[in-house]
Formats: sequence, C-alpha cells, structure tokens
Amino acid sequence: MNKAEADAIEQILAGNRDAYRVLMDRHFCAVHRIAFRITGNQADAEEAAQEAFLRAYNKLPGFRRDASFSTWITRIAMNTAINLVERRNRDLSQHGPRIADNPSATDQTVQMADVYPGPERQLLDREAATLRAEALAALTPMERTAFTLRHMEDLPIAEIAAALNVPANSAKQAVFRAIGKLRRSLAPLAGGLQ
Amino acid sequence: MTHFSEEDLIAYQLHESSDEAAIERHLDECSDCAAVSDSIAETLRIFSSEPVPQPDLDRNWQRLRGNLSVLTPEPRRARFPRFLLWPAAGLAAAALLVFAFVNIHVTRGGDRIADLLPAIHRIERINHPNTAINGHGPLTTEPAGATDPGMANHLDAAERLLTEVNHTSGPLDPADRAQARQLLLSNAVYTRAARERGNLAQAAVLDDLGRVLTTLDNESPSPHKTLQVRLEMNTSGLLLDIRILRQNDNRQNENLQ
Repeated sequence: MNKAEADAIEQILAGNRDAYRVLMDRHFCAVHRIAFRITGNQADAEEAAQEAFLRAYNKLPGFRRDASFSTWITRIAMNTAINLVERRNRDLSQHGPRIADNPSATDQTVQMADVYPGPERQLLDREAATLRAEALAALTPMERTAFTLRHMEDLPIAEIAAALNVPANSAKQAVFRAIGKLRRSLAPLAGGLQ
Repeated sequence: MTHFSEEDLIAYQLHESSDEAAIERHLDECSDCAAVSDSIAETLRIFSSEPVPQPDLDRNWQRLRGNLSVLTPEPRRARFPRFLLWPAAGLAAAALLVFAFVNIHVTRGGDRIADLLPAIHRIERINHPNTAINGHGPLTTEPAGATDPGMANHLDAAERLLTEVNHTSGPLDPADRAQARQLLLSNAVYTRAARERGNLAQAAVLDDLGRVLTTLDNESPSPHKTLQVRLEMNTSGLLLDIRILRQNDNRQNENLQ
C-alpha cells in the first residue's frame, strides 16, 4: 500500500470521512469493472461496488496496514457482487431489463447497442447479443465470476481462487465448466458448434 | 488414436495446459478435436470484447458519503491481568442480576412509564426507514430527539456522565452514581421507544448505555473500578456514539432554521 493510501486510512480512523474519497478515486473504477463482469449490468455493478466500499469502510479499523487495499477491496467486491447475483436469482419479484428489438419503457425492455466493428459485426448482431446474455445468465454466479475474471480481466487462477475463497483447482474447474456451457449455448449461433 | 477431452482443449486455449505441445501436435492430425478446439476458441472470442461502462465517480461518492459513519481506530486488546479474572466474572454476573432486576422494576414502575407513554405513542406513529448497519458508530442520520425533547436531554445527561467517568481515575462520587441510577429508568424507556420506531442503530447505542449505567450504579468503591469499567465497557466508544446521535440532532435543528 502506498503512502497516500496509508495516510488516507489514518485520517479516516481519526474521524475524517472525506479522506475515503482518495481510496474511492483510486479503486472504484476497477471494483466497478469487476462487479460489472459478475453482475452483467450497470445498475447492479454500481450497487455492488458501493456496498463493497461501504463494507470496506466499516472494516477499516481492523484492516492490516501491511496488506494491499486493492486486493482487499477486490475480494470484498467479488463476494458482494456474487451475493447480489444470488439474491437477484432468488428474488422472483426482480425484473431486470430484457433485451428486445424495439426498446419499450412499459415492457422494461432495452435494445443492445451494437458496438463491435469490423468482420465481427455480422456475427455479433442483436440475436447474438441476446444469446450471449442468456448464455452468461445460465451460468452459476461462481462460474460466471471465475470465467469473466479469468478470460475478460485476465486475472490468474490463483488470485481468483483466493478471492472466491476456494481451492485453485475448484476455481479452474469453474472456468472450464463455464466455457463448456457457453460453447454449447452458442451452438445455434455458430451454426452448430460441436 | 486417443482424443483429448473438452477440458484439456479448454485448458489448451486458455494456455493453462501442461501438455500444450502434445495437444498442438494432435490437433494437426485429428479433425474432430480440432473442430472442438476451434469452437472453444470461437466461444472465447465472442465473450472477449464486452465493454464496461464508466461509473460516475462523483454521484457514487455522494451516495456513499451519506452512509459513512465516523470511525475510530480499533482499540488494542488490553492484556487482562489474571488476578482480575474472577472479580470481573463476579462483576459481570452481578451486573446481569441487576439488569434483570432493573427490567422487572421498570416493568412495575407504572407511574413513571405512564408519564412517558404519550411520547412513546407519538414516536410509534412515525415510521422512519431504518438505516442501521452493525459496525462502528451508530449508522443513522435520524435526529435522536426530533420527536421528543426529553430524549435530547437524556443524551446530554448521559454524555456528561460518561465524560465524567472517562476523566475519573478513582471511584465515582455518590452524586454521579445517583445520576447513573436515575438515568437507568429513562434509558430503558427510550431504548424501547427507539426499537419500536425501527431505529435499531439508536436502540443499540442506548442498549450499550444501559449496560454502562447498570455497571456504574453497582460498582463497588475501589480505586481502580472506574478505569476497569472504562476498559471493559469501552465508554470512550459509547461517548462517541452518543455525540454522533446528538450531532444528528443539531444538524436537523440547523436545517429547520
């Protein structure tokens, strides 16, 4: 942990809440990014990131100063985001935005932006985006987290395992299971993957 | 020909395989495994370019800031002298008995409670959202005495008493002990009122205050008793909590003016 962060924590523990902004400015985007990978949508990602920062703040008096704040907050954020996804899955009354060709406020549907240029465009059209979203949603929170962090964020398996508090082999198996499931989910899109 | 499993091929595509060269050689010769390997690579490619939107830092900070309580460093765990272990256990048992007695006494003290009941009923009618989160400091922005000025006076008196306790090295004088006893009854009523109002953060602080008051009321006069109470009951932390409740009150008053 560098001096600016250590100083900020000292100030927070001396009663200065605003010093927490230093830590938030440095780490919120990374935490939000990971939360977005796990939750899959902006609103839940912000909620999870905020909750992670609030939890970290309340645990600051017990935080070991020789540890890395970045690793610590990332671990809290992952757990918070996974819990949120599990909570959402359990909560039958939760109706997130659904993807449709024509967005409608009354039906709570949104249109997926097509932001992929070049030769991928034809493949990643609206139908592909829907399939992608559905395929990711079909993964368990653990599989989704392990897969997105390993593949999209390029985090090493050991780090993911530590954050998820599981053995490295379990994290690796979760990644493999996720890719296997995604491959089968996308079979119609790729014209029949084997 | 021995084929590789899907898991082996996923590991190969993720560069996690310990036998990468052998798989590569096999894929050159086996079209079935090569097709599976290609579809894994295609899957990874499809899921590799999802952009992440940028969060609004200022808005998130404003939302977070409102939920941050004032923190204090975690107190170093005091080494408790072995010879004080049994007296402390006795003190705790006595405090428990007295607490039970006070509870019964409060239940029977109908006249005093009857005086306070209108205030409680007024409080009950107000349905405030509970913002309590167990942690350090009372995580509530609700003014403590907004519905009952008696509550503000109670917190003032408790704050003064605790300040006195924190600055006393010897035993408490009889006046302070009498005040602790006097505050006990009203504290029980305000604790109940806060709980019924749904403000669990405030109720938790008052609960802690009740335990300290019970201990102070029943402490035996000895030179180090106040110090012991201070260490065991973390009166400094409680004092801070009470001050935060009072600050909430002051902020509310400033907003009204």
